[in-house]
Amino acid sequence: MLDSITSTAGGWIDSLWDVINRVFIFDARYTLWLEGLGNTLIIAFFALIIGLVFGFFLAVIRVFHGASENPSWILRILNRITKIFVTIIRGTPVMVQLLIFHFIILVSVRNGVLVGIIAFGINSSAYASEIFRGGILSVDKGQTEAGRSLGLNYRQTMSRIILPQAIKNSLPALGNEFITVLKETSLAGVIAITDVTRAAQQIRGRTFDPTPLIFLAIIYLIMVLFLEFLIGRLERRLRRSDQR
Amino acid sequence: MISVKGLRKNFGSLEVLRGIDEEIRKGEKVVIVGPSGSGKSTFLRCLNLLETPNAGEIWFDGTEITCLKKGIDQHRRKMGMVFQLFNLCPHLTVEQNITLAPVMLKKASKEEARETAHRLLKRIGLLDKAEKYPATLSGGQKQRVAIVRALAMEPKVMLFDEPTSALDPEMVGEVLELIGDLAKEGMTLVMVTHEMGFAREVGNRVLFMDEGLIVEQAPPDEFFGNPRSARLQDFLAKVL
Repeated sequence: MLDSITSTAGGWIDSLWDVINRVFIFDARYTLWLEGLGNTLIIAFFALIIGLVFGFFLAVIRVFHGASENPSWILRILNRITKIFVTIIRGTPVMVQLLIFHFIILVSVRNGVLVGIIAFGINSSAYASEIFRGGILSVDKGQTEAGRSLGLNYRQTMSRIILPQAIKNSLPALGNEFITVLKETSLAGVIAITDVTRAAQQIRGRTFDPTPLIFLAIIYLIMVLFLEFLIGRLERRLRRSDQR
Repeated sequence: MISVKGLRKNFGSLEVLRGIDEEIRKGEKVVIVGPSGSGKSTFLRCLNLLETPNAGEIWFDGTEITCLKKGIDQHRRKMGMVFQLFNLCPHLTVEQNITLAPVMLKKASKEEARETAHRLLKRIGLLDKAEKYPATLSGGQKQRVAIVRALAMEPKVMLFDEPTSALDPEMVGEVLELIGDLAKEGMTLVMVTHEMGFAREVGNRVLFMDEGLIVEQAPPDEFFGNPRSARLQDFLAKVL
């Protein structure tokens, strides 16, 4: 009786070890996992940076245009381009954009990871710009009036009074966008980048065993949890002024 | 100090100001009263061009500011404004709220601005709140900080847009007291308010606005004691 329990427990541990061995260790498969994970993180990280920086400028163009009573022709053109850009990016699937970047726009770029970074970064910037724009518009009009009535010009009021509050207001939605981008990079395989999803798929193909997909899901979950943790810390820092 | 000629303002098809002529002299305390929607806040906000007039001229210190495109910021520095909802910056501490504009506009060094802020906070008894955020203050405290924030720019005139309308009744007094002190020190002030007692005590001149026009104006004794127009009589009967 006791024997059978220990042997069952031993069997369970043995088979788990079997799976881990097959999925991660045999044939140095962890190198494939690590390569994939590295590419996923690199693409997600730089795409987020591009998305944040570029999206921020797009949002400022839109808001600046909206606030000008008589916008200059340059501003009007930039505003129009921004609107069309956001419409196109939001109106087409990210996978299609990725393929277009790979096969048409950046066809001469050999580095797949770079193409991924650019494609996901451009995609994210459209969403980030709308998030920032919403954040800026959510700041009470009285804040602008306070700044202007003290004699600050539009730019000074924007940079010292409106934007710090706008960024704080944008954080929850930005956190969402970060997580979305991280997960969307799982499409990078379609342009032959070995991201972590593609690594899992390749190991699944070699071993005829679908369990790598479960490990893949767990890996994404851990990355998202870590991202949530970072965003939470940042939000708490920025919410200091709300404490009573 | 401020003269207004033929001031008109519409929001879309709605005519809010329908031709206002007014002269505010140095040291005067002008109180503007009237029913809501009469254009009194819009008039005040036109004085520092927070609202752009559709027609008319505003002269401040011998300069026509209505035609200025770039230099308006220079003039706004000399016109302090206090809002109904305080409009303190929630992401800055009380002290940072006060020092932001003077430092940014190079009116004072960081150190000087800090000293000024502390002197002003001491005056209103809130020195211990210097490092606190506005969310920790009561309404009356916020409004008093907003007033000294405007004072830190050493304005020549202070514009008050219903400074006590958003306050709990027990906090109205402390704010009016501070404004009254400023008046005694000789500050030129223009104030839109529903506080008739304050208008009577502190004002040199009370303006009654209705439907975008200044219907009647007089020194407070005469204004409240002997109103001439039927509309003012009607208004005073309702509010007093």
